[in-house]
Amino acid sequence: MKAYAYFPGCSLEKMALSYHQSALECARRLDLEFQELDDWNCCGTTAYFAIDQLLSYTLSARNLALAEKKKLDMVTPCAGCYKNAYFTNVTLKRDADLAEHINEALKEDDLHYAGTNQVYHLLEVFCNDVGVQEIKKRVTQSLNSLRVAPYYGCQIVRPRKDHEEVENPRYFEDLIAATGATPVEYQLKMRCCGGSLLITSRKAAFSMARNLLQNAMDNGAAVIATACPMCQVNLECYQQQINQEFGARFSVPILYFTQLLGLALGASPKELGFGSELVSASAVLAQIRNKETSTTQSPYIRHATS
Amino acid sequence: MSEKVGVYICHCGANIAGVVDVAALSHWAGELPDVAVARDYKFMCSSLGQELIEKDIQELGLTRVVVAACSPHLHEATFRNCCKRAGLNPYLFEMASIREQVSWVTANKTVALEKSKALISGAVHRVIHNQALEPIIVDINPNVLVVGGGITGIQAALEIADAGYHVYLVEREPSIGGHMAQFDKTFPTLDCSACILTPKMFSAGTHPNITLLTWSEVEKVDGYVGNFTVKVRQKARKVNTELCTGCGICEQKCPKKVIDTVFEAGMGLRKAVYTPFPQAVPKYPVMDVQNCTFFQKGTCKACEKFCPTGAIDFKQEDKVVSFDVGNIILATGWDLFDCRRIPQYGYGRLANVYNSLEFERLSNAAGPTGGKVILRDGVTVPQSVGIIHCVGSRDKNYNPYCSAICCMQSLKFAHLVKEKTGAQVYNFYIDIRTPLKAYDEFYQHILETDETRFVRGKVAEVTDAARLPGEEGKLIIQVEDTLIGKQRRIPVDMVILSAGLEPRHDAKEVAKLFGIGCSADQWFIERHPKLDPVATMTEGVFVAGVCQGPKDIPLSVTQGAAAAARVIGLVNRKQVSLEPVRASVNAEQCSGCRICNNQCPFNAISFLVDKGVSEINPALCQGCGTCVAACPAGAITGSHYTNAQILSQIEGILEVELGQREAVPA
Amino acid sequence: MDTRPTFYQEITNMMYATHGDPISTCIQCGTCSGTCPVVEFMDHTPRDLIGMIRADLKDEVLASNTYWYCASCFHCNVRCPAHIDIADLMYTLKRYSIWKNQYPEGLIGPTFAETFVKMILSGGRSYEPVLAPAYIFNYGLQGFLNEALTATGLLLKGRIPVLPPRIKRLDNFRRMVGHIIPASNLVGEAK
Repeated sequence: MKAYAYFPGCSLEKMALSYHQSALECARRLDLEFQELDDWNCCGTTAYFAIDQLLSYTLSARNLALAEKKKLDMVTPCAGCYKNAYFTNVTLKRDADLAEHINEALKEDDLHYAGTNQVYHLLEVFCNDVGVQEIKKRVTQSLNSLRVAPYYGCQIVRPRKDHEEVENPRYFEDLIAATGATPVEYQLKMRCCGGSLLITSRKAAFSMARNLLQNAMDNGAAVIATACPMCQVNLECYQQQINQEFGARFSVPILYFTQLLGLALGASPKELGFGSELVSASAVLAQIRNKETSTTQSPYIRHATS
Repeated sequence: MSEKVGVYICHCGANIAGVVDVAALSHWAGELPDVAVARDYKFMCSSLGQELIEKDIQELGLTRVVVAACSPHLHEATFRNCCKRAGLNPYLFEMASIREQVSWVTANKTVALEKSKALISGAVHRVIHNQALEPIIVDINPNVLVVGGGITGIQAALEIADAGYHVYLVEREPSIGGHMAQFDKTFPTLDCSACILTPKMFSAGTHPNITLLTWSEVEKVDGYVGNFTVKVRQKARKVNTELCTGCGICEQKCPKKVIDTVFEAGMGLRKAVYTPFPQAVPKYPVMDVQNCTFFQKGTCKACEKFCPTGAIDFKQEDKVVSFDVGNIILATGWDLFDCRRIPQYGYGRLANVYNSLEFERLSNAAGPTGGKVILRDGVTVPQSVGIIHCVGSRDKNYNPYCSAICCMQSLKFAHLVKEKTGAQVYNFYIDIRTPLKAYDEFYQHILETDETRFVRGKVAEVTDAARLPGEEGKLIIQVEDTLIGKQRRIPVDMVILSAGLEPRHDAKEVAKLFGIGCSADQWFIERHPKLDPVATMTEGVFVAGVCQGPKDIPLSVTQGAAAAARVIGLVNRKQVSLEPVRASVNAEQCSGCRICNNQCPFNAISFLVDKGVSEINPALCQGCGTCVAACPAGAITGSHYTNAQILSQIEGILEVELGQREAVPA
Repeated sequence: MDTRPTFYQEITNMMYATHGDPISTCIQCGTCSGTCPVVEFMDHTPRDLIGMIRADLKDEVLASNTYWYCASCFHCNVRCPAHIDIADLMYTLKRYSIWKNQYPEGLIGPTFAETFVKMILSGGRSYEPVLAPAYIFNYGLQGFLNEALTATGLLLKGRIPVLPPRIKRLDNFRRMVGHIIPASNLVGEAK
């Protein structure tokens, strides 16, 4: 059983509790041991960089040090936490002066970061470490060709990491296909949903989310799978307001990919935190249960332009 | 015996003197043991500078000369000749590079002076151990190998053949002609590419002095300038060219159709037995064994049945031919940038996104659509077309260099699209680069007459995700129009990607095969970027055309002719003098271990069984030094690179370096 | 002779210090602005802004809303043919603007950033309701009601915490932060 240091991040405590529950449930079913970091702190998200980059690195360094103490690589389900931890790790490894400075601060909490561990996003652990083939073998409940739009968002794949494919990655699609669902091809899968602008520039955020929802719908998505709590909230909780703003009639469930994966691995909706959606996922669940249906009626709703 | 050394320090204008205190250096050098005279002068390479040295040799009776100046690559030959004129053996001369290795790499005057001293001290120590040598004179084989049968190689081959020398022209594809044969029109004059190329192809194919080896690749090259031995693999055509008349019946009767990814750039079909295009030279077809029904399934043989002369030969094997040449010209050309590497431009995913070669075929009257510019559905004429410049070029994510031809090519495309379809054309550019004769006039012409809209901005993405009215069913080009500072979404029916030029995928291996260098981008490296653009660091091997760097047809032809001129000049001399740098075995020290025998890349070492020692053939030895380093007994010496020379040079350098350290307490 | 660095130098130096690539290699091709998903809301495109910095148009840059609209999606970064870290440039400008306490009227970004930082320093973790007052300020009554509706929905689904979360070793945490920004009024207020 492979073990990881698990860093859930602030959102997963309440707002995205279902992500937390389903991530742990999937890990358990895939024989992974997720040891939650003891007394982790907020990573600072993107807002912190505006104030103090050094402080931002320090916040992430504390979490990295907590993981290193366990002698485990870090995994986090939140795309924002992932980006911060990943790049803090890269930066500290190449800038010894900065690492020394930050380690001075970490001493206050009896911590030290030597830079021996790696940082992964949950999706990477499932797709690379466990492997899509292995997951396919463990699927007990096919998702019945449910049309799932994989939403990568920004910070899992960007900025550039070595020579990784940053414009058209395929691993999320492969994972969805492994569950028996049909991955929806749509152009905006890598485009920003605007989540980080929700508070500061609402109009922009809504416009971006609208474009994304529309594009997924136009390509026949029955559900959008996300790997980031911020994207989930932006796309799901504000659908009503987006409909108001643009005269649209979106009603598309936005689920965490772990909720769908969990269903395929045989977990019950309850174990996966279903029930806290603002846009009902009952149609999705119904389709998975109904083995007769092999193709999905897409809730394809054009926005009213009048 | 004590030697009289003269040391000459060049200012090279301010190049050296701006950083190195040449007066102090000269004064210091004059005090060195064995140095009879030390002088500094503004330009040592000038006639006056050289006369200074000649005069000293004659009047002071100098026996050794050291010049501290630029790199030996530049002026070693100059000063050797200078010594020779004054009656001193040219190998009793040494050069210390205090420009490339000192003044150009530091601005610190203190360290510059110290390093200059070290290099001069090393050269003085070494030159005392130099021996008088005589250059080795060898005959030049007048035959020439030209690799690559594109327009550059054809031009080079014709020039040499017309001068009366024999050329072996080796081409990998079934026909010569290269990329130019694929084009429709050529900029800036818009003359028909085939019309100006095919006469040259025909001449090359029929010239009595040209042996054409198509469907062939060079496998091995041995030897040195004047005396290369080349092995070429002639891939089996499965067609007996002695019997074949090129009538084309086999191709007509062949039932197997294959997508032609080479000549037709994937836009059209060919047969399993085929000539790539009607004007192919030679006219003989080749059989594509991978796709031939007979080779894959064991039956068919339609070609054989219908061939009127019985030329089809299914049993034909590859043939390796070997011949000798004195000089080699590489004109191996380029590959097109693979636009799939930029997923956001949609090439390979969005049907109506084309790369530049695809568009050339589409626009070509002999191409798959008969020259009609239509969409992939085969019928629709586009009403709007976007042409994107700099695809894969000037971009650190792909190729940092400018591909040189894309601006003019894109302007040409804009004109052809307008002429053939009347469509609204948009050109998306970062900078318009039209530097050569009649190029900017062409741009002006397009601006004046074609109503092409020019949008200054590198395209961010091409998408089929419609968002705004009018975008449905279109390809949307999203770009910042940088001249108005606004993001625009421009819906079009067709997108043409002006893809960049790349070195051949196997350029590195080819460079290794011929013993020349490749740049970081993998273009072949010329001897000097300005003053020796077609020679390489390997004597007798020349480069021409795009394999040396992106360029258009006029420049490629110029280089082909230039390389030919260089070769003809060498061949006319009939002999070439080689550096007398050769290895030799001291038989008394040789233990007969034979370790050196297999190390020699030129097969110059043989083992004399009766004497129990190894011996080096000086005619084959190239003085590379591999055996010298390999010999465990130290029995092999390389002339002009003897142990005494190298060790004393090191000693001389260290003397200054260590002296420095002692002088400055830590 | 005036030896003070120009605005362009200041920004470049800040980027160097934080490992960003300088903007001197920009060829003004507009890939960033063509890519940007928020560009229609910005008063200057990112490319334009780079040109303005290089022209030392400090006042105009500080009056621009461009970097406050940057969503940190990094799409420009991965496409830039000159490998300029454009998102980092946007962070740099935010930082510079906050230091100088100079930004356009009515922008919520700077206040938000500061509120967010204070919130994290007070408990070690983030807590969404703290951010709520910002909405009234910025989006008026209708916006607040909409927001309240969404919030109520989330509350009913148990997705909003009632009490701010706190980490256990908060004192250590605050001392750690004190090492990085010793005299910070942010830390002071947090305590």
